[in-house]
Amino acid sequence: MQLTEDNIYRSSSQFRNWSFTPAKLAAQRQTTNIQASERVKAAFARQRAQRARQPDTASASESERGNGSGIDTGSNTPIPVTNPADVNCLTVAEEMKLVDSFCERTLELGKFLKFPIEVTATAIQFLRRFYLVNSPMTYEPQTISRSTMYLSTKVECHHRPAADYAAMLTKTTPESVIAPEYLIVQGLRFTFDVKHPFRGLKGGHLELMEMARGNAAPTPHNTQTPAELQKAMQALPKKAGEPPSHLSAADLEKRITHAYTLASDTLKSVALLTDAYFLYTPSQIWLAAHLLADEPLTAFYLSTKIPTSSPMYPKLLSRLNACAELLSSHRKFASQGTSEEEKKAREERDKKEVSALMKKLKQCRDPDKLDLVKLNQAQKRDALNADGQLEESKAKRRKMDRDALKKEEGDFWGPELPSRNGEKA
Amino acid sequence: MSTKAGLRAGDGAKDGGASPLSKSLYNLSIQQPSSSSSMSRADTTSDICPVCKSSRYLNPNMQFLLNPECYHKMCESCVDRIFSHGPAPCPIAGCRRTLRKVKFRKITFEDLKVEREVDIRKRVARVLNKQLSDFETLRDYNDYLETAEEVTWNLILGVDVEATNRKLQLWEDSQKAERNPNAVKRSFQADSSTTSDGSHGVVLKKGGTQRKAMASSSGNTPDPSASLDEAFLETGFAFKGLKKYVPPPPEKPFDPYGGWSVKPQLYTLRGDYDVEWLTKVKDDPSHVAGGYDMHEFYSRALCEAFGGLGVFIDEEIPARENQSSGNAVIGTQTAAAAATGAKDVNMDDVF
Ligand SMILES: [Zn+2]
Ligand SMILES: [Zn+2]
Repeated sequence: MQLTEDNIYRSSSQFRNWSFTPAKLAAQRQTTNIQASERVKAAFARQRAQRARQPDTASASESERGNGSGIDTGSNTPIPVTNPADVNCLTVAEEMKLVDSFCERTLELGKFLKFPIEVTATAIQFLRRFYLVNSPMTYEPQTISRSTMYLSTKVECHHRPAADYAAMLTKTTPESVIAPEYLIVQGLRFTFDVKHPFRGLKGGHLELMEMARGNAAPTPHNTQTPAELQKAMQALPKKAGEPPSHLSAADLEKRITHAYTLASDTLKSVALLTDAYFLYTPSQIWLAAHLLADEPLTAFYLSTKIPTSSPMYPKLLSRLNACAELLSSHRKFASQGTSEEEKKAREERDKKEVSALMKKLKQCRDPDKLDLVKLNQAQKRDALNADGQLEESKAKRRKMDRDALKKEEGDFWGPELPSRNGEKA
Repeated sequence: MSTKAGLRAGDGAKDGGASPLSKSLYNLSIQQPSSSSSMSRADTTSDICPVCKSSRYLNPNMQFLLNPECYHKMCESCVDRIFSHGPAPCPIAGCRRTLRKVKFRKITFEDLKVEREVDIRKRVARVLNKQLSDFETLRDYNDYLETAEEVTWNLILGVDVEATNRKLQLWEDSQKAERNPNAVKRSFQADSSTTSDGSHGVVLKKGGTQRKAMASSSGNTPDPSASLDEAFLETGFAFKGLKKYVPPPPEKPFDPYGGWSVKPQLYTLRGDYDVEWLTKVKDDPSHVAGGYDMHEFYSRALCEAFGGLGVFIDEEIPARENQSSGNAVIGTQTAAAAATGAKDVNMDDVF
């Protein structure tokens, strides 16, 4: 009974629940969008009907809600009750754009908080996974992204108490961080393990370095001796299509380290912001990033693992190229061609687009899910009512129970044990 | 005690409780006074210590103890007084057996004969502990039970006590030797080392006993009569049709992976890797002190480097879905249909 590396990966929840074909991914987003739009429209229709019935009280409660929620959930402006047919819902592409931008913000948040990259990376993947099954129209990305970050600190062994975490951020209370937590966990389908390509890249780098020093470990498919491999490696062209070079051992190591640094940068930024995690496996992602950093080297490394003659090799290379294309197509990918001004202009354009989308989102937020903190509190056992008081009957019964218990404490055999159905026996 | 019971039952009757239980209790309490005279006499005899003649009436906390050596009972304070300074003869007239304080214990049964019989049965059952599954036939098992009962009654009635005890002892030893030969051998060796040269022969003889015990139990089934008689002398008892004891197979060492192992296809792990960004970690005593092994990192890093390289999601996921189609597809469709209502996607709405 033996397992290969691939078997191990197949057993992961990332492969079982969070891997999609491009078509499936698009279909999933489409369904989520349609369902969320339906919900929003239905909620608006209900609100309108209610308002038509009792115009005065409804408007009063409307303004009250705007002031009542002290936490920033984007609901500070009273929502105009529009005709449900007129509600302009976000499209799938707009939703994606929003989520992408919040992934970027999460990345910056991680840098600002000086969290390890694993924490940020996991938080971003949680966010992306969450918004596969939920829409930004239903749950506000700002709140959710802060909560995923908090959840991720727990998953990646970098836990901060909620109060400390909230204190590091502006306009955030511990309650607002914790409130959507269960919602997120449910959206993640209780799978917390995100397999990142970071460690894989390190593993590959280790092997490449040893190979460059002429002590490569043998693999089943490779018949070359370590010395031959080293020689072939030193003769690799700088770029595909160029004549072979002759690097010294030290230069070769430098080249490998350079490729590693570039690939690592790609993995820590662009790879997180695209759908790469949904479409490819971590080892494919890191090899694609390495391919972008140094193509001849990566191709050579791959050929030592899988013989170029086997049908597996071109198949794998095509996937790696596709993944590399996906990574390099991202706006943030620092390609050599673009100038500073162009980059700046692009960022500016992107910013504008996002802020326009945020405005649009405010118009089509699901009115039932505006204040997650309150919803969360209502869910709890000791739900507080509007005045911050326990329900009267409940409070009364508690008090009576407490008094009775106190009275019985003096008894020789102690107070009576509660029976199973909660009543006194 | 009796008054209390009467009171309770009376209460029940007053409550108008016509249940059969309360009625019978009521009757009991009525009948009790008539037999109380005989009862109280019995009480007085059993509540007086035969040694110091103090009675429970004056000392309600008095406890009676007995010694299974002779089954004479006496009160706790007598035991303390007489046996605190070591073994002493039993103070009951005509007994004179030497008793030790540690052996005294509380009395379970009022009738000391019962107490004694229970003890004897316990002891016999501990030694003669075979079950039906240990025998070839039911007939053999019944014969065995017959023998066990006979031994028990011999001991209870005091017939052939000496011989019976010896037989039981022999049987117990032989069983022990059979079940756990190592332990017996070890204890015998310890004996030989402590005692002088003269005891060497004894050790040999005991070793012989052990061997014969094995032989007799193994050769039990085919040809009884001759070997049975011979075994009888060595092991105390010989039971026809007793199956040979088969020791359980030794337990295999625990394997947390249940027989699975990882066989990497694309890499071979080296003992060590030398990279600049690792040297700092490698030399850091705070890593090494905690028991962290760099090898763990290497194996994990390389496994993650190639884990899933040959997994093509765009091929495997559709293939997997086709395979598990049928019910699953219908299930997801109904789930999706249900979700299109007011519900969240694919799951319950927590809020
Ligand atoms: Zn006494
Ligand atoms: Zn005695």
